[in-house]
Amino acid sequence: MSTQDTEHEHDRDHDHAHDEITAGDGIGYYETMEIAVRELLVSKGFIKPEEIRRQLEVLDSRTPALGARVVARAWLDDEFRARLLENGRKACEELGISFYDDTQLIVLENTDKVHNLIVCTLCSCYPRPVLGLPPDWYKNKPYRARAISEPRKVLAEFGTFIPNDVDVRVSDSTAMIRYLVLPRRPEGTETYNEDQLASLVTRDSMIGVVAAGVADPRTVK
Amino acid sequence: MAINPVPIDAGIIRGVILASGEAPLFSPSDRVEILARSPVGHYRVPMYLRGKFGVVHSIVEPSAVDNEEEGYGRNAGSKRHYYRVSFLMSEVWARYAGSPRDELRIEVFETWLVRARA
Amino acid sequence: MKGSEELVRRLPNDIGGISAGPIQRTDHELEPWEKRCHALADVIDFHKILNTEEKRKGVEALGSEIVGRLSYYERWIVAFSNILFQKRILTPRELAEKMDEVAARDRG
Repeated sequence: MSTQDTEHEHDRDHDHAHDEITAGDGIGYYETMEIAVRELLVSKGFIKPEEIRRQLEVLDSRTPALGARVVARAWLDDEFRARLLENGRKACEELGISFYDDTQLIVLENTDKVHNLIVCTLCSCYPRPVLGLPPDWYKNKPYRARAISEPRKVLAEFGTFIPNDVDVRVSDSTAMIRYLVLPRRPEGTETYNEDQLASLVTRDSMIGVVAAGVADPRTVK
Repeated sequence: MAINPVPIDAGIIRGVILASGEAPLFSPSDRVEILARSPVGHYRVPMYLRGKFGVVHSIVEPSAVDNEEEGYGRNAGSKRHYYRVSFLMSEVWARYAGSPRDELRIEVFETWLVRARA
Repeated sequence: MKGSEELVRRLPNDIGGISAGPIQRTDHELEPWEKRCHALADVIDFHKILNTEEKRKGVEALGSEIVGRLSYYERWIVAFSNILFQKRILTPRELAEKMDEVAARDRG
């Protein structure tokens, strides 16, 4: 089997697996495995069921709304923004956002000279404590393969056009640092309060594929 | 019994020896080359970076466990520094079509870096 | 076999810069089992039973065909099983029997 085959033919990254599991036929193979592994680890005393329940609550509490609040605060408060750019994790912790996964956070500020974009080419590193779980497209091959080598084309696919006098910088995660893009504050928002500003900040603007204030034309399929 | 005072030079104590791997080998703005080795099994330096030249943007503190070794299990791996290294896109991709100032930045563990010759 | 060494040199997840098609802006609401799988990963990481890097290595070790055909959390749960066997925390037989029990329970 040539490497071409492994790269293209068996690509199930679209996650249509869920459509193919026959509805109403009971739990699938992998779900069975998940339940079995979990129950065995509980019965052997390695984990407790309440720990899983608690972590599910932790995960549900982490959404892009947290990141949006961080961004809105940074737009309004210059000193907070300076602290955020100095140490992203510490500044988030000021707002009560804990980093349960031992990662650090670098916040990348978009300006009139620099546009930042984040990717994890090797896996799916993402600032989960402050944004929640990443969308499928971020974890799938086309984005991971192309954001690092042709970012301007990828941005264009998201409807974002960066002029040549603005530098594009792509940050690829490989270790303990996670990234959050601080998008530019949209024009005409001088009188907005923090809530109003936060409502302009989308998940995709904090990944860097779109500007803040731009409505996402496609969201959950 | 009196303790002999330590030599101080401009406020810093002299003569403190750092353990192997404690001090970062590279500094911001150092030009570095990513080694071209090809490990079998787990690695965290993408192939697109092997043999490429970049500039150290910053040192990640504190030093941390080598994630390539960490994959082998509990308590595995030596601690050294990671560096956030900056590369010009045009340096990494032969047919890069964007701006010549576009960059990529990535964390690289110290054992993958050597100082670039001039 | 000529060309096969590329499969060994390049991990199946090392795809930065390879050619790929347009980005499908897909996203799906996670199935409950997928969320539980994610929570499981976090909890076993907290307990230092299996860390994140071990998990990544475990997924890579599934090989390109499985990595290409299984979805994200399907890869995780298979990788966990393998690593837990390696660490002698579970045995393949225990898991197989438990899976049969779970499936039978589900069929009611």
